[in-house]
Parts: sequence; C-alpha cells; structure tokens
Amino acid sequence: MSIDIDALIDVENSTQKKRIFWDPEIYELELERIFGRSWLFLTHECLIPKYGDFVTASMAEDPIVVVRQKDGSVAAFINTCSHRGNAVCHADSGNCRAFVCNYHGWVYDTAGELVEVPLEQRCYHGNLDKEKLTLPKIRVESYRGFLFGNFDTQAPSLEDYLGDMGWLLDTFMIGAGEGMELLGPPMKSRLSCNWKVPSENFVGDAYHVGWTHAGALRVLGGELSALAGLNENLPLDDLGLQFTTRYGHGCGVIHHAAPSLHVKRQRYDHFLKETAPRVKEKLGDVRGDLFDGHWNCTLFPNCSFLVGTQTFKVWHPRGPHEIEVWTWTLVHKSMDEETKREVQREAIRTFGTAGTFESDDGENMMECTYGNRGWRNRQGSMNSTMGEGYEGPHPDFPCIVGSSFVGETSYRGFYRYYAETLKARDWKAIRENDDRWDEIWRGNDFWQRQLAAD
Amino acid sequence: MRQKHKISTLPEARTQQVDSSIFYEVQQHYHREFRTLQHENYEDWLHNYVSEDIHYWMPVLEQRLRKDKRRQPTPDDAAIFNEDYLELKQRIDRLNTGAVWMEDPPSRIRYFMTNLEVYTTDKQDELETFCNVMVIRNRRQVESSQHSIGREDLLKREGSGFRVLKRKLLIDARVTQDKNLYFFS
Repeated sequence: MSIDIDALIDVENSTQKKRIFWDPEIYELELERIFGRSWLFLTHECLIPKYGDFVTASMAEDPIVVVRQKDGSVAAFINTCSHRGNAVCHADSGNCRAFVCNYHGWVYDTAGELVEVPLEQRCYHGNLDKEKLTLPKIRVESYRGFLFGNFDTQAPSLEDYLGDMGWLLDTFMIGAGEGMELLGPPMKSRLSCNWKVPSENFVGDAYHVGWTHAGALRVLGGELSALAGLNENLPLDDLGLQFTTRYGHGCGVIHHAAPSLHVKRQRYDHFLKETAPRVKEKLGDVRGDLFDGHWNCTLFPNCSFLVGTQTFKVWHPRGPHEIEVWTWTLVHKSMDEETKREVQREAIRTFGTAGTFESDDGENMMECTYGNRGWRNRQGSMNSTMGEGYEGPHPDFPCIVGSSFVGETSYRGFYRYYAETLKARDWKAIRENDDRWDEIWRGNDFWQRQLAAD
Repeated sequence: MRQKHKISTLPEARTQQVDSSIFYEVQQHYHREFRTLQHENYEDWLHNYVSEDIHYWMPVLEQRLRKDKRRQPTPDDAAIFNEDYLELKQRIDRLNTGAVWMEDPPSRIRYFMTNLEVYTTDKQDELETFCNVMVIRNRRQVESSQHSIGREDLLKREGSGFRVLKRKLLIDARVTQDKNLYFFS
C-alpha cells in the first residue's frame, strides 16, 4: 500500500494533514477500507413497516434498496440489475411486490430473486441460470430499530461495532421505554465538502456553536444563548462532557440542555420531565443524568445526529469534495402525535435545508475542503489538540471521557480509529488491536485527580 | 366493459379569472414584493406584505411512482418551511443581527416571476394566485445557484394593497443544490 497513513494522522500529537480532505487516492482508500467494511446507516424499521415497503438509500456511493420481507425481516440489495447494471428502483419510497428494470424488463421479487426475464425461452434457450442472478444482497442489522448495512462479511456485529457508544445511546434508545424512531421523508441537499468535515464537526465541535451560529443564538435566547460570541466567563467544565470509543464513534453532551434550540417546546419539555425519572430508575444515575442533555454525536464514519435538537443525518460521500446530506427527525416512540409534530417542526427549523443553524455551516465546511485546491495549502496540517490530557478513563463510564463538551477529545478518537482502519488489511487486523486501542489515554489519571478534588 | 377515461382538468374555473385591472394590481404588488426582498428590506416585507395569520409552507416532496396511492404531504409532515408570523419574524431577526457571517459580504438574490394567474374565491376580499418563480442566488466569487419554485398564494385585500395569508412553495428539485434554502420567496 503506497499511502503512508502515519504521515497523514499523528495520533500522538493530535494533528492531521490537510490533504485528507482533498486527495482522490485517499478517498479511494476510504471507499475500500472505511465504507467497504463499516456499518452504514440505511433507514429506520418504522419507515418500512409492511411487507413490500421499500426505501432507496446509499452506502457511500453504492445505491441501495431496502425492502421489508414477507417474513417480517428486512433485506437490502445494491440497486443494480444483474443484466447490464441499470438501477431497478427510482422512487424514494413506496410499496411493491416486484422491481422491474426499465432497460430490458427483468423482474425481481421483494427478496431480490430474478423471477421473470422477457423472451427467456426463445432467446436464452433455457441457458439462463436465474438463481445466480439475484440482486446483490447486503448484510443488514438493526440496533434498536435503526437499520445499518455492511459490505464486509468479516465485520463484527452492529452491536459490537457500536460497543460503548451503544451503552451511551441506550440512555434514550431503551432508557425511555419504547425507544426512538425517525420521521421521514428525509430532506436531501448537496454540499461541496469532504465527508469528514461534518462528521468531525458533529462528533465533537461544540466550540464552533457560539461563533458560527452567533446570529441564530442571539435571536433564540434560552439555555445556549450564553454561548453566543464565545463568552470567556462560561463555566465550561461544569456544563458537560465528551466521549470517544473503540471504533471512533463519539459525542459531546451539554447537561440538561436537550430542547434548548427549540422555541415551541412545551410538549417536549413536559415529555422530558415526565420521562427522566424512569430513565434513572431503569439505567441508574450516570445515564439518567445524561438523558435530558443535548448530545452531538457521530457514528463512525458518517452518521451524525443531535439528541435534544432531534436532527438525524447521513453525510453520503459523492467524491472527495462533495456530500449529499440526508436529514430525518429523531423522536421518542412514546411521545404522543402532537409532541412528535412539535419536535419535528422545531428540529427542521434549526437543522433542515433552511435551518436557522444549519444555514451557517455550509461555507465553513466548503472552504475547509476547497482551500486544499491550492498545492501549497494542502501540504499543511490541522490541529485538534484542544483539551489534550484533560481526559481519560473514567470510573463511571466504559469509554474515554473528556472534561468539557468544548474540547476535541472526540476528534482525537475519531482520527485515531480513522488511521487504524486505513492501515488494517482486514477486520482480523483491526481486532488484533483490541487490547491497546486506548493506549494514548491509558496512563492518564486525570479523572481520578479531578473526582478526588471535587 | 370499457372503462370511461377520466380527463383531469384544473380545479379553478375560467370564469373565476379576474379582469385585467385586478390582474395588473396583483402583478405590480408581487413585483414590488420581490424587489423589497432583493433589497433585504425584510421588516418592511413582513410588516406590509405578510398577514399576521400567515401560513408559509414549503413541503418536502418525495420522488414517488405514479401508481403510489399515498396521500400528498400536509403541514403535519416534514417541511422545509412551515412558518407562522412569529417564526418568519425570528428568521428575519437572525438576518438583522449582523452576525450571519455567510451573508457578509452580502449574497445577491434575484427573482424571476412568470406565469401569473389570479382567481377570485368565494370570499370577497381574497384572491387565489399561481405563479412560477425562478430564484437565482450569486454569492462570493463564483457560487451561483438557481431554484425553480411553483407558488400558490391566498392573498387578502388589506387597505389599498394585499397581504399574503397562505403561501405554498413547491420546489422542484428533490435534492437541493445550494448551501441552504434560507431565503423568502
């Protein structure tokens, strides 16, 4: 392999070479070693409830169809006819008993089996082995209703892949009774940036909120308006935490600030108040205390969401310099319909295509990518050292914890795994590192000292 | 037995089309409204062109097969804009903070309205209008985007002018090719 990953990602010193946002050859390697072997978000079970319900989706640049089967299971296929490769499904969603290719009329059933070929007897003379011409099937698993696909049969289960991030997410995925679901259809938009720019932003960038979103925060008021303009006097260490995990998933949590970006939030506030004690009862104080926090999260590589604001996204790569953003609304199943409607309107108002917050981010992300068009510019490095050392293993949590929601602990964890998976030949090679993935933090007794001092 | 072929037609009757003087009034009102927006006079727009009872709506429209029998989106479904008066005001307040960095230097927006039709309704002081709007935005050095939008309004006569009571915006692109759709049309 010709690319020197250690030269691109300096895990020890928390820097990354700028060319990771630009080079086409790095992108090609990512398609193979990241998107080719990671669990990639497809859709939620609730969006395809009945037999024959389907949605089209993407796994990186591969077009996918996800279909509810007769036996209640979910199957996913690459949206490509086995004949010459045309797409077999062009709708966003719907219900059908068969997919017919528009090119030569080949018919596939909902299980992806090739069931009908025009002129089969006359022209193929009985020599076409239809059983070998099924739609290419993708491994699919569900985490609490959230469906992910994986191209790699050697990859660990979705639950193992999420690991300690799953433990954190269970705060609301199982803590609040019935769990979470998504409201569709998704909004879709294109943005000229590298997929890692928004992924890293959502995994750990609370720092930008006060400045990038200054205008929106000033108008909004509420719990987070104190961030506007990045006021030095904010007691940041008391306001939240950052988390990072084995496979690069991470998040930041601002305590007790879940609905703070919503304006009409009476029903949502009421729901949180009612539900929080049940979470404590079910899962204990540590996670119970996080339940009404505002969480910014990324599941490696490219699925990000904000719990509290309730926006859920995938950054689909469309080449090294472009993404297609799909956005759904995240709700608790146990919310009543009125509350879900209220949450959906507020979530989209902040982080939809015309979002009062989302509308601020696009240029930053584009420029962080396109600046590298310049040869001289892309020889440089980026810095993610904020809060280095103010983090480490924590007695209350199974993962690495950073001491402030404004810090770059989650960036460091994201790029640590990014480098690890790019260097690894296969999943077996990745698993060999299981015992030492967190060595850069292991000796750090930051939390022992911190908690003893409190 | 052969099924009778149903010919679909527009629901508004030709007899409801307004005469040329009212048409001219509405057309000039809309031209002035668009120029108000082009000048970033958002408070003037909200105060003089928008009813306090406004519902300003841009639904998310999926690509569905023709045979799909599911109902069309309602304001209870996912929508890019789904605003009342105060929500429009909040959007304008954000623009007026001077802290929206992406709008500094300001972008340039221009509206091209065509295909205006104006119909009477069963309410004396309300008119139903249809038009097509092409929105072209230019920002920074080379960024240029365009948005093809169908607009359906319920306009209410107020004093010597009109205010929009209901505005439905049908954006043709399924995937938005722009950094945001944060503009009024």
